[in-house]
Amino acid sequence: MNALPIDPALAWESLPAMLRGLMTTVVVTVIVLALGLMLCVPVTLARMSRNPLLAWPAAVFVVFFRGAPLLILLYLVYYGFGQIEVLRDGPLWFIFGSAFACAVIGLTLNHVAFMVDVVRGSLEAVPAGLTEASAALGIPPRDTFRQIQLPLAMRYGLKAYQNEVVMFTKGTAVISVVTVIDLTAVANEVFELTYDPFTPMLTAGALYWCLVNLIRLGFRKLEAYLSRHHIAVEKQRQPASAGFTALAARWKLALSQKEQVL
Amino acid sequence: MTSLATEAPMASPVAEPLRPIAVEMTGVDKWYGTFQALKGIDLTVRKGEKIVICGPSGSGKSTLIRCINRLEPHDKGTITVNGIELDGSPGRTQDVRLECGMVFQQFNLFPHLTILENCMLAPRLGRGVAKEQAEAIARRYLERVRIGEQAMKYPSQLSGGQQQRVAIARALCMEPRIMLFDEPTSALDPEMIKEVLQVMEDLAAEGMTMICVTHEMGFARRVANRCVFMDKGEIVEEATAEDFFGNPDSDRLKQFLAQILH
Repeated sequence: MNALPIDPALAWESLPAMLRGLMTTVVVTVIVLALGLMLCVPVTLARMSRNPLLAWPAAVFVVFFRGAPLLILLYLVYYGFGQIEVLRDGPLWFIFGSAFACAVIGLTLNHVAFMVDVVRGSLEAVPAGLTEASAALGIPPRDTFRQIQLPLAMRYGLKAYQNEVVMFTKGTAVISVVTVIDLTAVANEVFELTYDPFTPMLTAGALYWCLVNLIRLGFRKLEAYLSRHHIAVEKQRQPASAGFTALAARWKLALSQKEQVL
Repeated sequence: MTSLATEAPMASPVAEPLRPIAVEMTGVDKWYGTFQALKGIDLTVRKGEKIVICGPSGSGKSTLIRCINRLEPHDKGTITVNGIELDGSPGRTQDVRLECGMVFQQFNLFPHLTILENCMLAPRLGRGVAKEQAEAIARRYLERVRIGEQAMKYPSQLSGGQQQRVAIARALCMEPRIMLFDEPTSALDPEMIKEVLQVMEDLAAEGMTMICVTHEMGFARRVANRCVFMDKGEIVEEATAEDFFGNPDSDRLKQFLAQILH
């Protein structure tokens, strides 16, 4: 046994399987994030609606699925659907009977419940004055939502969303318990075959790390695009000499005030 | 009072043949919970008139002006704008908003859109104007408020005075027949107030119907046909600018004038 706990040969050998697992992780993540984006806006609007028939079910949905532990939720979806005869004999069993689809359903329920509060907080952060100005201009409410509230909310909520995406991506590891062969499942399998815990887990960890940082870079690009109005302002202020002059002026002012006091 | 008062460009409304009514409010009440913000407001504004509304803070002036384009729904009485009665139906509200332009204390420019886009949005979405035409309209009004060269900047790159002029141009792009100003200079540094008032005076000279909530007494003297004094949700006094400042009737107005004129 060498000094390193890692066996490079094993890592290299298991890499193709690991990458296939990573692919599954990525596919599940992308599908659930896409579903999440599609579903979270309508659910949020229902949650924020003044109509209790919309607001209450949405609120119950959020409270329930935010509170439900993901692992237990997945077990319930995966093993529970099979207990429902209508589903088992129904035409959609090819969905409810597949581990992959169950994982997607369970993750989506959880993810959407978390997203609703992210979206709601972001929408509420849009200053009321802007919505009013838009209404006063005769812009119809639907367009105000699409052109003013939503784009601004996206800017306000981007950081919170990035957090949710990163946590979620790493959290997809739980789907291995319902027999989906994702990255964690592959690493586990290698461990069980070799009794080497370090090599497969560290390899998987490195791959997760790469994935999460790719996401981070993507968000950085997105943020730069969405906050281009801020960047324009920064550029305007950028000339170093101007910044320095301002600093010097402030310093002088502080000094003169001090003198006055003295 | 010096030449400013005698130079008032508008003849007294009594001498003129009665022009058609632009805004008529009769017996308007407005409650916020148990607080009555407006008490039996009667106000008639004829086409081309310039009305200045002033009064201590919390007197209901902003509420009054916001009721005219239904940013606040009124609870009792009637409000008719260019023959359209505000009855709470979305269609009527929309029609009235197309008649009225509004300028706010806090400018309320859309921060994620350029100056030009700020001005193009409402004509495109509220009136269905084609893109090229909307741009031509926007550029025309931006020139008129003397800010054409800033068209591609973002609001945060402009000074307060410039932002407020853009807000006026943005409202004018909808070619409203009535302009509502809700303390347009109250959030501005002293040296920027003048440029905004100048734009408003130009607008007045062109015959726009204007209702302004403002404490700019010089502006009131030069431009207003009538000044309205509000206190505790009521219209206490209504007079020509000359009488309003030179010969106030009620004690409450005398007190108020003594306070703001130092």
